Amino acid sequence: MSNTPLVIENLSFQYRTRPELAIEDISFDLKQGELLLIAGSSGCGKTTLARAINGLIPRSYRGERKGRVLLHGRDVAEMKIAEISQVVGTLLQDPERQIVASNVFNEIAFGPENLGLPRAEIASRVDQVMKRLNIEYLLERETFNLSGGEKQKVALAGVLTMNPSILLLDEPLASLDPASAYEALDVFRSLADEGKTVILVEHRVEDAITINPDRLLYMEDGRTRYLGPIRELPREIDYTQVKLPAPWVVQRVKALDNAPVVSPKPEVKERGEPLVVFEDVDFRYDEEYPLILQNVNLKIYPGDLIAVLGPNGAGKSTLVKHAIGLLKPTKGRVLVEGQDTRKMSVAQIARVLGYVFQSPTHMLYAPTVHEELEFGPKNLGFKPELISKSIAESLETVNMKEFEEYPPLALSFGQQKRTTIAAVLAMRSKILVMDEPTAGQDFANYTRFMEALCGTYDGASSILSAHFAATLFITHDIDLAVTYANRVLLFGDKHIVADGAPEDVLKDADFLLKYRVRPTSLLNLNLSLLPKTGRFLPAESLAGFA
Amino acid sequence: MLVTWKYRPRNTFIQRLDPRTRFLFMFSVIFGLTIPEIWDFRIILPLFAISLTLYLLARIEWKDVRRVWIFIFIFLSLIIGLNALLSGRGGPSSVTSIPSPVLFYVPILDLFGWMVPITISKAWFALNQMLRMLTMAILAIPIPYTMDPNVYGTAFKRMGASDNVSFTMDLAFRFLPTFARDFTITVDAQRARGYEMEALKGGLVERIKRLSPLIIPVVMQSTVTGEEVIDAMDLRAFGTSKRTWIKTLTYAPRDYFMLGLGALIFITCCVLKWGFGIGDYFVPDFFTAFFVG
Repeated sequence: MSNTPLVIENLSFQYRTRPELAIEDISFDLKQGELLLIAGSSGCGKTTLARAINGLIPRSYRGERKGRVLLHGRDVAEMKIAEISQVVGTLLQDPERQIVASNVFNEIAFGPENLGLPRAEIASRVDQVMKRLNIEYLLERETFNLSGGEKQKVALAGVLTMNPSILLLDEPLASLDPASAYEALDVFRSLADEGKTVILVEHRVEDAITINPDRLLYMEDGRTRYLGPIRELPREIDYTQVKLPAPWVVQRVKALDNAPVVSPKPEVKERGEPLVVFEDVDFRYDEEYPLILQNVNLKIYPGDLIAVLGPNGAGKSTLVKHAIGLLKPTKGRVLVEGQDTRKMSVAQIARVLGYVFQSPTHMLYAPTVHEELEFGPKNLGFKPELISKSIAESLETVNMKEFEEYPPLALSFGQQKRTTIAAVLAMRSKILVMDEPTAGQDFANYTRFMEALCGTYDGASSILSAHFAATLFITHDIDLAVTYANRVLLFGDKHIVADGAPEDVLKDADFLLKYRVRPTSLLNLNLSLLPKTGRFLPAESLAGFA
Repeated sequence: MLVTWKYRPRNTFIQRLDPRTRFLFMFSVIFGLTIPEIWDFRIILPLFAISLTLYLLARIEWKDVRRVWIFIFIFLSLIIGLNALLSGRGGPSSVTSIPSPVLFYVPILDLFGWMVPITISKAWFALNQMLRMLTMAILAIPIPYTMDPNVYGTAFKRMGASDNVSFTMDLAFRFLPTFARDFTITVDAQRARGYEMEALKGGLVERIKRLSPLIIPVVMQSTVTGEEVIDAMDLRAFGTSKRTWIKTLTYAPRDYFMLGLGALIFITCCVLKWGFGIGDYFVPDFFTAFFVG
C-alpha cells in the first residue's frame, strides 16, 4: 500500500447526460494529515471531483472518465465500494439526509454493520468515536430531534467508525448556524492534526481559512484555477465568486482599482402607521410544551428592511408565522393593518403579507412558471385582467420573462428562488417576508440574488423599495444584515433582545456571541471604519475608506 | 405543527415481549381466522376476548388512539356496509344469499326499482365480520405506540427477512417524521399564497387537481431525499456483504408462553374446521328469534 493517501492524475469526467466536461485535467496529491480546501462557485465541478474521489463516480453516476484517482496506490475504479468506504469517509452537505437510522447508536453503527464486523468490534468503534467527538450524551437520542449541529456530529461519527484515512467533507457548513459551523471546523482541524487527510469542499472561504488549511484548490469551470498555499492567495481568485474575508476584498478592490459601488439602503424617513404590530405575544404549541415566544413586542413600519438574527430554535420562524396568521398567539395579539389576526384567515392576511419559504421545492408545483404565478392571485380572487397584468409585471421585475412557459421544477435553484419571489409579487402583497433567503445558494448566487432585490442603479429604486412597503428576512448570515438591512432584530431566549439600526445592534461583539451570532470580518472592518463611513457598507464599498 | 412519534416507553407486559413474539402472535390469530375461514361466532368471540385483553394490557392512553379508532370504525363500517349489506356478489355472497327473512329494504336506485333487501342473515354477517376484523385490528393498533421504532428492522431480520427488506423498515421509520414535516411546511407555504383546503370544490378529478399544490412539492422533496439517501448508504457500504445487525433479541419465558398460545390458536382453528367441520357461518337461533319471535 502506497503511503500517499490520495493521488489524482489528469482527471476529467463528463456525465453521460451532459454535453460538456464537468471536470477537466485535475491533478494533485495529498499527504497524510494534510488539510485541503476546495473552493469555487456552484457548477465549478467541486461536487463532481468529490464523487470521483469517493467512488460514486463511476459507480452511481455514469459517464466518461479519463485519468486516475489513486487511494493509497490503488485506482478507485478497481476497488469495491466496501473497500473505498474504509479509505474515504464522506460527509454529505445535508446531514438530515445522510442520517439513515432513527437513533444515534444505530446511525453510528450503520457502516460497520454493513461491513459485517463482529458485534463487539462495532460496539467498541462506536464507543471510541463518540468519546472522540464528545457526543456520548447523545447515545440514546432519536436522530430526528437533534439540532443541526448535533446531527452533523452524529453523521461525522457515522463516517469515522469506518476508520477512513481520508475525510471528504462536502459543504459541511451549509446547514449550520455560525456558532455550530465554527465548532465543526475545529473538529475537522483536530482530525487532520491526528493524521487524517481532510478534503474540505466549501465556498465559505472566509470561515474555512480560520482553521489554516494547508493548501487551497480553487476551481472554475471544471478546471484548477489555483492550487497552493492560502497565504499566497493569488489575484486570480474572484472575490465575487467565493466569500473572502473583508480586508482581502478591500485589498483586491484597491489593487484592481475597481470603482467601489455604494448602493444606498432604504432610509426610514418618517414613521407612519405601523403595518404589523405584535402586542405582548406569548406562544406555545400546547399546554404541555414550553413557551416558544414570550412577551414579544414589535412594530413593522413602511420603509423597514429588517434582518432577524438569532440562534436556531430561538423562535424566529415562529415569530414570522404569527405575522402571516399560520400561528395565532396563545396570549397577546398580532395586528396586521390594524386587524387582529385571530379574526382573519391566512388568505386574507396574504393580501398584505407575502411569505417566501426557505426552500423553493416546498412550494413550486405548477407545470409552467406562468401557472405557478397565477396560483396566488387566483386564490385571492383577483380578476383575470389583473392576474395577467400582475404576472407580467412580476416576471419583468425578477428578470424571468423568457422563462414564463418553463416548468419551475426544471429551473436552476437561483431561478426557482426568483420564481418564488415573483409568486409573492404577483399577489401584490405590501410586505415581503423571507425565511433564510440565501440558504442553499453559493456565495456568488446569493449575492446576485440579494443585489437583484436590494440593489439600486442610477438612482432608481430597488425591487424591494419599489414593490413592497416593508421587507423582513430571517438569516444566519450576519453579513446580509450588515450589507442590506436598515433595521436589525436580534432574537434570543423567546423574545427580541435588541431592535434598532444595524450600526447600533451589531456593535457589541460579546452581546452578539451570547446569542450565538458570530461577528464577521466584514462587521469588524465596518465597525472600525464607522467614524469615517457613518454607516455599514459592503466590502467593496469599504475600499474607498480603508 | 409538532411531529412526534407516538411510541413511548412503558413498563407493561406487552412492551416487555420480544417484538418477534408480538408479530408472530398477531399472524397466528390472523391466519387462524383466515386460512381455515372461521366465521363461527363461538370461536371468534373468545379470540376477541384474548385480543382485547392484550390491547388493554398495553395501557395506551385514549387520547393517543382516539383518532385511529374513529378512522378504524368509519373504515370498517364502510367496508362491512358495502360488503355485507349491499353487495350480493363476491366473497360474502355464499353467506349473504342464504334464504332468510327480510328485515328492511335499502332503496339504492329507487327510481329504477332497485331495492336491496337486508336479511337477518346479512345483519348477523355484518356483526360477525365487524367482530372478526376487530379481533385482528386491535392486535395491530397498539404496535406503533408500544414498539420501539428501532427494533423493527432487527425483528424482521430475525424473522427471516432479507437485509434489504429489514432495513427498509428502519428507513421508513427514520423518514416518516421528515416526510410529515415537509408536508406541514408545504401546507403552510401554500396557505400563505391564499390556498384554502376547505375550498375544495367540484368533482373527484377537480378535487385531486386542487390537491396538486400539496402533493407535487412533497413528492419532489421525497424524490430528492431518496436519491441522497441512496448515495449516503452506498458510501457506507450498505449491501456489499452480509450485514451484522448489532441489536440482539432473545426470547424470555413469557415469549414462549405467548408463542405457544399463538400456535394453539392457529392449530385449534384448523382442527375445528377441517377435523370437526366447526367454524362455518351460521345464524344462531337467538338472533333470528330476536327479530322473528
